[in-house]
Amino acid sequence: MMNRKTALKVFAAAALVFASTLATLLSRSYDLGPARPAPAFRAFGPENAKIRIEEFTDLSCPACRTAQGHVMQLLKLYPGSIRLDFKHHPLLELHPWALHAAVYSDCAGRQGKFEEYTGLLFENQEKWSQSREEPVQFAEYVKTLGLDAEEFRKCADDPAVRRQVEMDIAESGFKGVDATPTFFINGKRAVGGLQLLEQARHFDNLLKE
Amino acid sequence: MKAYTKALDILGIAARLTLGGVFVYAGWLKAVAPPEEFAYAIETYKVVTPKLAMLAALTVPWIEIYLGVFLAAGVFTRLSALAIGAMMVGFEGLLLQAIARKLPVTSCGCFGSSHNNSLGYEFVQNLGLLVLAVLAWKYGAAHSMDSLIEGRAADEGAGRGRPR
Repeated sequence: MMNRKTALKVFAAAALVFASTLATLLSRSYDLGPARPAPAFRAFGPENAKIRIEEFTDLSCPACRTAQGHVMQLLKLYPGSIRLDFKHHPLLELHPWALHAAVYSDCAGRQGKFEEYTGLLFENQEKWSQSREEPVQFAEYVKTLGLDAEEFRKCADDPAVRRQVEMDIAESGFKGVDATPTFFINGKRAVGGLQLLEQARHFDNLLKE
Repeated sequence: MKAYTKALDILGIAARLTLGGVFVYAGWLKAVAPPEEFAYAIETYKVVTPKLAMLAALTVPWIEIYLGVFLAAGVFTRLSALAIGAMMVGFEGLLLQAIARKLPVTSCGCFGSSHNNSLGYEFVQNLGLLVLAVLAWKYGAAHSMDSLIEGRAADEGAGRGRPR
């Protein structure tokens, strides 16, 4: 039988467990942890920009293609005021080549052509995204952009590159992303291009603050 | 003698708060991030399987938070300091074997993925934390919840023992 002192200590410990669990779970839901920026080749705009957009995208997803157009326009409309971190969220069950596309786009990024390679992938989505065999477009765009094919191949075989994409997927799962594209604009969620544009209506006010 | 005791008490409290705070911070950083990140860091030590690494990634951050909070607040102070000390010994073992085996560990995983110190740096840092654990165990009882509860119980006991 527990004596009174021990019982009080147990009660205090239980209260501390409750309070610290609650605080940690609230930190999670308000995304108060340290930021996980995208690798430099997938990050656009200044680090200290007032408007921070985190984008979770699938290169095979048609809605993502449309939304990407909006994102690029916003970057042009608000030069120097937006920081965009592009992260991969390939929908593996729907799009058989989405993970490959993500890895290859990162490999293009390591050679300084992330935007160009993803641009080609988005533009020609219908040609490769549902292909039965590995799409020829992946290698074709390496040639089109004048990338070093040998370096590209080594990069594509590097487990660390795939791991980077897997960490993006883990982060998106942790944040409850289940549709693409999903954006977090200064921490506020927007799903799809229309919701992004809806939030963009407040950018002028955000910048005045 | 009194001044010496007081100095040791202050040392103990400082050790308790510092070590407790470090553990809360380290645990919190990992608990608010995807567990896959910490699991990957654990896997690079090549000691456990990926499944066990994930289990550890899901549980260790919370253990760190709770032990850190207990120690900082001074609840079950000696037990918490002992448990933290045991964890530190375990961490040092992992680091030492990674250094000896020259494993390509890029992130210790101690403070999530945001801190990327070398294994040697982390090993020396952890030695310092181990010293704090010993100090907290030996001198950390002053001004703790334990002492508050013990003191109240002693007062009540004295009150009950007074002749009517």
